[in-house]
Amino acid sequence: MTTIASLTRAQLGEHLAGPGIHLRTGRFTTLLRSPIGGVADGIHLLYGDYPLGEGFADFHLDLVRPATPRRWLRPQVSLLYDGRSMFKPLPLDQAFPMFEWGLNWCVSSRANRYLIVHAAVVEKGGRAAILPAPPGSGKSTLCAALVGRGGWRLLSDELTLLRLDDGLLHPLPRPISLKNASIGVIRAYVPGSVMSRAVTDTVKGTVAHVRPPADSVVRAAETALPAWVVFPRFEAGAAITAEPMPRAETFMQLAQNCFNYSLLGAEGFAALAGLVERSQGYRFRYGVLDEALAFFDSLTGVRDA
Amino acid sequence: MASSWRLVPGQALLHRGWDGAFVLYNDLSGDTHLLSDDAMTLLLALRDGDVAPEELAAPELADLLATLRQLDLVEPC
Repeated sequence: MTTIASLTRAQLGEHLAGPGIHLRTGRFTTLLRSPIGGVADGIHLLYGDYPLGEGFADFHLDLVRPATPRRWLRPQVSLLYDGRSMFKPLPLDQAFPMFEWGLNWCVSSRANRYLIVHAAVVEKGGRAAILPAPPGSGKSTLCAALVGRGGWRLLSDELTLLRLDDGLLHPLPRPISLKNASIGVIRAYVPGSVMSRAVTDTVKGTVAHVRPPADSVVRAAETALPAWVVFPRFEAGAAITAEPMPRAETFMQLAQNCFNYSLLGAEGFAALAGLVERSQGYRFRYGVLDEALAFFDSLTGVRDA
Repeated sequence: MASSWRLVPGQALLHRGWDGAFVLYNDLSGDTHLLSDDAMTLLLALRDGDVAPEELAAPELADLLATLRQLDLVEPC
């Protein structure tokens, strides 16, 4: 299997600027084209373990510099989906984050064979923990720590894909998106982590992306069984608490974190109910990553909570 | 206050229950409701014809029926 790492940075740049590359992330293939150096840098640094595909692509994305007079004053980048601009241009410096956000949008708005939860999901021993949470809750920080130090496999840090037919979780391992203070926290906590250059002044503040473990990328076709739904909340200095949640409440809170629950209708209801019946929910507060990782390890020793 | 009630036509009452709390899929609005044991039991009784009109007219049920009506789950008939 040919991976992105088989291309030098120069070759990758040439491909991206020319015919594009077929980037395979999980079961999705993206035909990505861009002459922008920052995009090639990000792909080269973070996607080396990903397969290069060919032929059919689920998504066609171009990152280009819009030809407007503004480009002479403040260079910008536009994301084109199927050749059409779907979003406001961003400062050129944000080209790589824009690719990441754009690909998230493609999956969350198009992949309706799955119930898609806005949540990180990690696996150990075949059983998965789902971490839904609004921005600022420490979800991605916790996810980066679990896969970087805790021995958990990354399925996704952003999009949990629940298969409608069998209730299994399908991986979509991609770089982990960190924001603001989390960037320094993970640099210190996972010293060997490979991270993209921090980009400042985005709509999310300062952002950087962490390269996913190679093992998680290689195992991208290996599904996992949902076992826990943990709603995390980071509070600096707080003692750890993990309060079991009633299943009906877990259901309602998960539904609020789905991208396509309403779209799927009764099918989405049945899929979510199946997930909740297989999982124990927790309202989880943490202030120290070591303690959080110990809690997650304690879960794996419990067969039926 | 109506003396007799029925399920709104089209409601299939797709639901799941755990520990005395229920989630119900509303076929007409696409919403999902979190319901008490009492509410779910009443809806199922209406569906199955297991509740007499005089019971439905009891003042104790007025608030619950009004709530279920607001959700387009039941209607007077």
